[in-house]
Amino acid sequence: MIRRTIAAVMICAGTAASAGAQWVHHPAPGIPRTKDGKPNLTAATPKGADGKPDLSGIWSTDPTPFEEMERLFPFFKAFAVPGDDPRMFTKYFMDVFADVRPEDVPMRPEAAQLFKQRMAAVDSAREAPTARCFPAGIPMGDLLPLPRRTIHTPGLLAILYEGINPHRMIYLDGRSLPADPQPAWMGYSVGKWDGDTLVVESNGYSDRSWLDGMGHPRSEATRITERLRRRDFGHMEVDVTIDDPKSYTKPFSIRYTQTLVPDTDILEYICTENEKDRAHLPAK
Amino acid sequence: MRASCFFFVAACVCLRPAPAAAQWIDFPTPGIPRLADGKPNLGAPAPRTADGKPDLSGIWRAGRAGEYGYDYDVTKNLKPGDVQPWAEALRLKRVQDFRKDSPLANCMPVSVPFLNLRGLSRIVQTPGLMVILYESPNSPHRTIFTDGRSLPKEMNPTWLGYSVGHWEQDTLVVTTAGFNDRGWLDVGGHPQTETLRLTERFHRRDFGHLELDMTFDDPKAFARPFTLHTEKPLVADTELLEDVCENERSGAHLTSGLTMTPEMLARYAGVYQFPSGRLAVVKVAGAQLQIEDSASPLDRLFVAGSETVFLSSLSQIAIEFVKDSKGGVTQLVRKDGAKEERAARKADTQ
Repeated sequence: MIRRTIAAVMICAGTAASAGAQWVHHPAPGIPRTKDGKPNLTAATPKGADGKPDLSGIWSTDPTPFEEMERLFPFFKAFAVPGDDPRMFTKYFMDVFADVRPEDVPMRPEAAQLFKQRMAAVDSAREAPTARCFPAGIPMGDLLPLPRRTIHTPGLLAILYEGINPHRMIYLDGRSLPADPQPAWMGYSVGKWDGDTLVVESNGYSDRSWLDGMGHPRSEATRITERLRRRDFGHMEVDVTIDDPKSYTKPFSIRYTQTLVPDTDILEYICTENEKDRAHLPAK
Repeated sequence: MRASCFFFVAACVCLRPAPAAAQWIDFPTPGIPRLADGKPNLGAPAPRTADGKPDLSGIWRAGRAGEYGYDYDVTKNLKPGDVQPWAEALRLKRVQDFRKDSPLANCMPVSVPFLNLRGLSRIVQTPGLMVILYESPNSPHRTIFTDGRSLPKEMNPTWLGYSVGHWEQDTLVVTTAGFNDRGWLDVGGHPQTETLRLTERFHRRDFGHLELDMTFDDPKAFARPFTLHTEKPLVADTELLEDVCENERSGAHLTSGLTMTPEMLARYAGVYQFPSGRLAVVKVAGAQLQIEDSASPLDRLFVAGSETVFLSSLSQIAIEFVKDSKGGVTQLVRKDGAKEERAARKADTQ
């Protein structure tokens, strides 16, 4: 079972190869540099005209130490697809409950049943939404070691992904979450400041998206709160709290960091263009 | 290549513009100047950024389907011979195939001109960088660098290319190259090639109107560069919708048109008259019928779906020819959805 699960995960990982091979290399303007011209990622956090931190930049989620990954997911390395580096992944991409003992995962029975089905399905690897070029969604799309570009303007934070998700809009113009949102892969997001931390509230998620590579389910009742703090120029701390009372008996959180990727750009990646993996994924 | 999601091609063509009219989000966009009755004042001056340049940010609507006709045919204003023969032949082959291999049917980004000419887009302008987000299958986006860099010498060919922009007074001039040769410039299927250089000139005339000139320079496909002028109105108080390709089952059922000989096609040529007096002039054009009808002037090429039923290459319009007992063609029936019109054959030729 674990082997199949890992395979499902690696479908996405196949896209990770491009992260290490960005062909665009242009010194990004506005990045503080050390004397030798290298980006100074520990310089002060940039600020917008309103005095709040400017979250703009190309970001990639930091990996979990490999020893921990090996301990949590013993088969992980064996299933790396050529071109992937399994050392690039965060444990939460595999399992949002990576820090929780299996018996303590607060899944409701229906959700546990669905999770079990996904894990046990003969075709589980092929049934992962990402295997069909559907979006990874939130938080999964942010947990991949793929660069994504955040564009922070007054009133709007836009996030562009390298293929794994459609663009995401976070409205900072004071609006509230819609009362009856249309379910979407990316949900609907609004943000406001709590000191220097941007607090993003989201609802309106489709229940088709998986929370992680293992297939932890979500319902349309899911609300997600993300707290984004750009600690310095090159580092962002992210706290994600997932509250889905239909699937889980209590809210739970994951916490990860992301690092600025300087002097490059995100690449055009069209999943539907060359989707040959799925037919070759293990069915048994 | 295995496409993961398909839309029925004809459905794409007919239905894509629908979301624009049916955006479910209705939130008053902040920062929009308003008239006394609360309506957006689209004639107010264009907003400016801190550096004094026009701010192009906003949600913009391309002309409605067919408004300019360029979304169907970017070569609309060109003379015969301006399109290189191989490119015209490829377009006609795609028409004959009912465009079943179109990028849109395969959930690909299609091309920059197509995206500029159809549907909603959102411009987010920041110092040094502008992005355009499109409401189109799988939500394609473009990044336009305005930080002074030049186009790279070598570019990885992509659907939407690599774009750099600079200001000429109040006009943002964007040059894009590095395209792949798989894009379609329009619904009809004019090919994009790797030698295409596209120049877009964005001018926000006032708060509510964005003028966009697109210059196509691709000697491989066109004998000379040409420019299309369009104008996009601002769409206030809404957002782009997520558009994820979800239906992969239609593709397998798409088929090409029936191939008929010129002699077979010639039996349908002639002038037909509707009861209102309107005429439909039917001519043979290669493997297809060209039907001139003032009711749908842009919609001219019809492909044989069966021996007597011809389907529009652009819309849901179908033309069925009726024969008498001797096999002579006596009338045509024009079907547009549930609407049906009959025209009697007046003459064999015009």
